[in-house]
Amino acid sequence: MNVDQLTEFLRRDQEFMENVVRWEELPAHEAQYRPFPSALDSRLREPLAKRGIYQLYTHQAHAIEEILRGHDVVVVTPTASGKTMCYNLPVLSEILRNPDARALYLFPTKALSADQVSELYELIEALDVDIKTYTYDGDTPGSARKAIRQAGHIVVTNPDMLHSGILPHHTKWVKLFENLKYIVIDEIHTYRGVFGSNLANVLRRLIRICDFYGAHPQFILCSATIANPDELACTLTGRPVTLVNDNGAPMGKRHIVFYNPPVVNRQLGIRAGVVPQVRNITGMLLKNGIQSITFARSRLNVEVLVKYLKEMVKDPLGNAGRVRGYRSGYLATQRREIERGLRAGKIDAVVSTNALELGIDIGALDACVLCGYPGTIASAWQQAGRAGRRKETSIVFFVASSAALDQFMVTHPDYFLKQSPENALLNPDNLYILLNHFKCAAYELPFEDNDSFGNAPAPDQLMEYLTESNILRHVDHRYHWMAEDFPASEISLRSAASENFVIIDITDPAHHRVIGEMDRYTVPMLLHENAIYMHEGIQYQVEQLDFDACKAYIRHVEVGYYTDADLNVSLSLLDIEQEDGQGAGLPRAYGEVKVTTLVTMFKKIRFDTHENLGFGHVRLPEIDMHTSAMWWTLPDEICGTLASDDLKNGMLGIANLLRIVTPLYLMCASTDVVVIYQVKSPITDKPSLIIYDATPGGIGLSQKAYGMQDLLLEKCLDIVDHCPCENGCPSCVGPVGEVGSLGKKHATQMLREMLQRARDRS
Amino acid sequence: MTLLDKLRSIDKPPKPAPQPVCSGTDCYIRTELRESDEFPHIDCLTYDALMLMQSQPIPQPLDQSRILYLDTETTGLGTGAGTVAFEVGTGRLMKDGFHITQYVLRDYPEEPYLLSHIEEELKHSDMICTFNGRTFDIPLLRTRFLMNRMNPGCLDLPHVDLLPLARRIWKLRLKSCTLQHLETDILHVPRHGDLPGSEAPQRFFSYLKTGEFALLDDVLIHNAQDVASMCSLLSHMALLYHQPELHEAPEDLFSMASALEKEKHIREAQSVYRLVPSGRLHASSQLRLAATHRRAGEKSTAVKVYERMLSLHEGGVVPYIELAKYYEHTAKDPGKALELTRAALLLLAEPALGDDTAVQQTRFELQYRYDRLLRKRSGKVRD
Repeated sequence: MNVDQLTEFLRRDQEFMENVVRWEELPAHEAQYRPFPSALDSRLREPLAKRGIYQLYTHQAHAIEEILRGHDVVVVTPTASGKTMCYNLPVLSEILRNPDARALYLFPTKALSADQVSELYELIEALDVDIKTYTYDGDTPGSARKAIRQAGHIVVTNPDMLHSGILPHHTKWVKLFENLKYIVIDEIHTYRGVFGSNLANVLRRLIRICDFYGAHPQFILCSATIANPDELACTLTGRPVTLVNDNGAPMGKRHIVFYNPPVVNRQLGIRAGVVPQVRNITGMLLKNGIQSITFARSRLNVEVLVKYLKEMVKDPLGNAGRVRGYRSGYLATQRREIERGLRAGKIDAVVSTNALELGIDIGALDACVLCGYPGTIASAWQQAGRAGRRKETSIVFFVASSAALDQFMVTHPDYFLKQSPENALLNPDNLYILLNHFKCAAYELPFEDNDSFGNAPAPDQLMEYLTESNILRHVDHRYHWMAEDFPASEISLRSAASENFVIIDITDPAHHRVIGEMDRYTVPMLLHENAIYMHEGIQYQVEQLDFDACKAYIRHVEVGYYTDADLNVSLSLLDIEQEDGQGAGLPRAYGEVKVTTLVTMFKKIRFDTHENLGFGHVRLPEIDMHTSAMWWTLPDEICGTLASDDLKNGMLGIANLLRIVTPLYLMCASTDVVVIYQVKSPITDKPSLIIYDATPGGIGLSQKAYGMQDLLLEKCLDIVDHCPCENGCPSCVGPVGEVGSLGKKHATQMLREMLQRARDRS
Repeated sequence: MTLLDKLRSIDKPPKPAPQPVCSGTDCYIRTELRESDEFPHIDCLTYDALMLMQSQPIPQPLDQSRILYLDTETTGLGTGAGTVAFEVGTGRLMKDGFHITQYVLRDYPEEPYLLSHIEEELKHSDMICTFNGRTFDIPLLRTRFLMNRMNPGCLDLPHVDLLPLARRIWKLRLKSCTLQHLETDILHVPRHGDLPGSEAPQRFFSYLKTGEFALLDDVLIHNAQDVASMCSLLSHMALLYHQPELHEAPEDLFSMASALEKEKHIREAQSVYRLVPSGRLHASSQLRLAATHRRAGEKSTAVKVYERMLSLHEGGVVPYIELAKYYEHTAKDPGKALELTRAALLLLAEPALGDDTAVQQTRFELQYRYDRLLRKRSGKVRD
């Protein structure tokens, strides 16, 4: 059966169609070609012709022309549209003409760089020229490093290595920095939030070092489809960047099926489990010989699904090699073998975590099943993009779980289909992140009076502060590094605060192993003693939390409950930067706050029924964090008439709704923003709803939320209006047990009035 | 709220540092002359001695006054672009004694002057001698030249780094081969009241914060001693290469012989191996000695060594095996070879559970040889 036949078959299957809330068909696109840009070195044509490439897709040609014209470029490329050609061709062309020229490639992960470099090697081999490409990362042996520094034409690395291994030692890379022509950054949509804010600062440092050596490299950036690729590219690089998005790659017809498992408990709003539903769908594809990829949210789900599917197709000897799992934790060789098997069509079904979401080449498949919403629209499209032949029809199933976000997505398919994907947000001027990199920059090259640091605000004040702190010494118009330590070594690009806690698994007394890290602000919530900590779908209990040594010791357990810490949050206002809506409107404000958090106790909650099994005490110090926040003050007209319990439950309901909606529209993880309500807020002295950035210093999320207030309130109202539950459920205002029987009613009413006032003002 | 206010509110900075005003048109220079008596073996330091120690070409004839001893004191241990050499000590042996010249930054802006002095010193030198300079001091200075937009080419001189050379000779005996340990255990001139080198950066920062130049006195004394010790150590090593019998311990003899062998000075290596007295390392030395003769094609000398080892019951099965090979292939005496092989097999005795794979492999090979020799004796195999 092919996909066309399958769709015919499914449309006639009533039982299946009952759960399909939307069936969308995306039309096929013809390929659009342009001739090779004449400015490209002609020696490149022959090896390409040998691979059957005689012309380029429009976006490839367009990108290359812009690059050769000297512009910084960001190319938006859907999966499998030949994006590496957009940068490999101009880079090789430049090196062919000027053998001294150098290029730097940055990929977010090591696995990805290995994959992309192999493609580059093939092209260089076909060219039969001496162009040296090296990967320089933590795995590069010491003996090879010197040769790479001296002779590598193309140096492939990752942001972390650039930050701690290359920039602080720039004098050993003179050849690279003097001759750097191109900086290629792939998958820039992954550089959002803290990681992106860090990278933007690493690039500020990189440009500064290039200036010192007299080089003025161009940027070539690639992004998956997001709403603001050009804005992201500009923020990352601090420069205007030309957007290329006229995709000319062909694409066959695509079906997108939104599938919502049937409700099994209307009172509690619980639906049939997503894993069995996915097992049926993937199993059906497997039986019909349609090659598919299934994305599951956790490693555990991957393993469960693989087990089911293997059972289904195993031969009499128990072999089922046509079904494979793929996730981090598998050996690299095993993963390469699976990738090859997929490309060669030897594997019929692969179940993966988001490990296969980034651009690793597995060819194109017939079908894709999303087992739950992956968290962001961009990520959902990337996963869906794994199915999509250039000519034939393909199909994507989105199967929703009971989680609030999933339910929102499946009941609002237009959000997924019509809405452009999310904005990737980052804030290079986050004070903590900026200060960290400013130190690194000062170490790498002394600042002089009136020097700038990219487009960072007030570099003179940073210099003054570091001078006051005896880290810099100001003499003769220069700021010299005056500390023994090496600043880059203490700074991780993947978190904002420098002191991370390490999580150590002590299940096996002979082999304690570090399984993860967590920033100190989250630690009291998730890693207090006796907390149940979930890691990759496995339950652990925290045995000891050594707060001073920044270590948490955990042990594998199997219990039927999870823990939820009671977080006491108090806020104090540092500075209001923006406010409006006073008087007849809805007062809102944006500014900086100090968040003091204290965890004193935790609840044990049973899985499935969510019943409370007991309490435990926690003894931990208070933690202060400076961050940015936005807040609404509820005017007396809205809450004056409500009894205090009703007001509290209504606000809790709205806060729960905002917790669903805010991460969706800010394109961030739900742990990146915190929504709280205060019946009498110390900031406003009135009932207030507050959204703040969970990252010290903030990465711009609450500021963005300030700007999106109408949209956020509308979406909250929309969810609660369309939720089929009676008095509240986890998919909207929260379960009745939490918000009370009138919570849904009051939340709805308050939201309506808030939105009304917000609209009146404008 | 300005950025500065925010920064201050996050973390109250300590009091700002007073700013001593001291950027002149040159760096501070301290000189010291030490008597030649302090370096009793300096005459041993010849071209030949240096060429025994290491293999990179050095100018001939060797002019002692054109060897520059060099040691830096830095603001940190990293060799990244922000680590500064705030002091460079140099030493040079002249007719009237050992001249130490120390170049010191009174503040950062004096760095170009300091580097110009180093450039000038290097111009008058044929060779640099450091302790761990290959990985630390010289790359660091290279960075400093580049950071000041000066040409680091002057650093490309022949370079003798004493640390790896000393480690080769004394690592078997001494736990640590730092310069201070070598002074105590090899040169027998321990230091007293010395400032640990690791405290130098903090002294420099304290000086910058207070303007008390005297804080650097200890650093300068420490550094001058380092520079002088390099000259003592190098000449002491030259002495030992000339007269290996002066070594204090058999380990040192064995290590020096290995070092000589590594540098392809086979004759010298052989004579040092012969000096290793009976004891723990004697057998190893004899084995190495025989092997060097064997490789040089001097089979009869090698056989003599192996036979002496047999008579002393030294070296386990190896002399038996080597002699068996000799009698089978060179002397064409399979009977004698068989006898030796049998003796070797007996020596290895019964197989034991604890035998590692190397022993098992040896036993297997001996058994194979033994079987072959048996067949050979019965005339079934041609040689």
